[in-house]
Amino acid sequence: MPKHADPVTERVNEAADGLRVLLEEAAMARAARAEASEQDGTSAVCAWNHFENIPTFYNWNNRPR
Amino acid sequence: MSWSGMRGISPIPSYVVLQPTTLCNLDCTYCYLPFRARNDRMSPAVAAAVAASVNPWAAADERFSVVWHGGEPLAAGRDALAELMAPFESVEHHVQTNATLIDDAWCEFFAERGVRVSVSVDGPEPLNRERVNRAGAPAYRTILRGIEALQRHGVPFSALCVVAQPRPGLAAQLYEYFLDLGCDVLGVNIEEQEGVNARANDFADDAVRTFWAELVAAWRLEPRIHVREIEWTLRYAGAVLAGTADGILPGALDPIPTIAADGRVFLLSPELAGFTDARYGDFSSGSVLRTPLSTILAGAATSAGWVPEYLRGVEACRTSCPYFGFCGGAHAANRYFEHGRFDGTETNHCRNSKIRLLEGVLDHAEAC
Repeated sequence: MPKHADPVTERVNEAADGLRVLLEEAAMARAARAEASEQDGTSAVCAWNHFENIPTFYNWNNRPR
Repeated sequence: MSWSGMRGISPIPSYVVLQPTTLCNLDCTYCYLPFRARNDRMSPAVAAAVAASVNPWAAADERFSVVWHGGEPLAAGRDALAELMAPFESVEHHVQTNATLIDDAWCEFFAERGVRVSVSVDGPEPLNRERVNRAGAPAYRTILRGIEALQRHGVPFSALCVVAQPRPGLAAQLYEYFLDLGCDVLGVNIEEQEGVNARANDFADDAVRTFWAELVAAWRLEPRIHVREIEWTLRYAGAVLAGTADGILPGALDPIPTIAADGRVFLLSPELAGFTDARYGDFSSGSVLRTPLSTILAGAATSAGWVPEYLRGVEACRTSCPYFGFCGGAHAANRYFEHGRFDGTETNHCRNSKIRLLEGVLDHAEAC
């Protein structure tokens, strides 16, 4: 994207205060869901190789339905 | 900010999608699949050919997934599916299922093989009106019966929900439903104009943003479910605040090969399987019965006529769209089915499921 304009980054920064609270809650929720490294393998949750703790095929740049 | 991810196509995928049968026992009105009434079945030779490439990838990676999709994958039957799964080693097997065929025997099958289950259900019964069987009768009760079997057997499951008409008030109702259902993970797909589903998806901006903002609000009250869209958005937003947003997207596009029942390979968008176009042919990148999947993927960028055009489209997104760092570029199937080609940029899917998602989450955060 052009270097002279990054409205999305600006927009995210404008919401920073609320986002930080939300991010903290999300981190606690993940810990409570045991999505950290010590999974026992019995959950439907599993680490997506590149990103997050979601089923591997719930891929962001595409996903079957 | 310039984004460095999503350049070219990785020669190794993180998962493969296999179509054990084209058949689906349902006939959902929004389905994109053209041949779901036909029962073209995958041969063991196709599965073995895929496994020959997949097994070394799986051995070298902590996780590698084989996703049995369809059609309805369980319509293939347990014996056939077991035979197709047999040549794969050290992979996670997943099924994306409408749940209508799940019974005690299927639950035992899943448990014995460690198959991870994702069900397609669109929320409470009235929101499943689009989901009908081949006689046009509502399928919800049979969907629920299958999910109840999973619950009875303690089989964990994820859920994919299609939202046909995003509107204020809907998200809280949906989230409460999925909490009760007991799924671990939820993915929310705003209906897309794809394949044989030509219904327009140009929803009002406010309605979609409000839907996502309200979903976050509902989720915060009881964040027991991993909601794909919320998690991804927060991950991106957190990275922006930390100054690490350019590390979010993978370096190259995941090819996400879909192997159709007949062995043909479709890259990047499973939804292209089964279609033909005068300009692009059948969209396939070859067949695993003639060429190893690893070889096809090594030459992915030029493996089908539409792929170079798509890669130009990704670059156009990179230079024109301020949401690229979040999104990684419009999906191939959405470009094609909305624009008729692959080098256009912003789609209705981008607006509904990426741009308005991020904006809705930020709306919610600002209102905190």
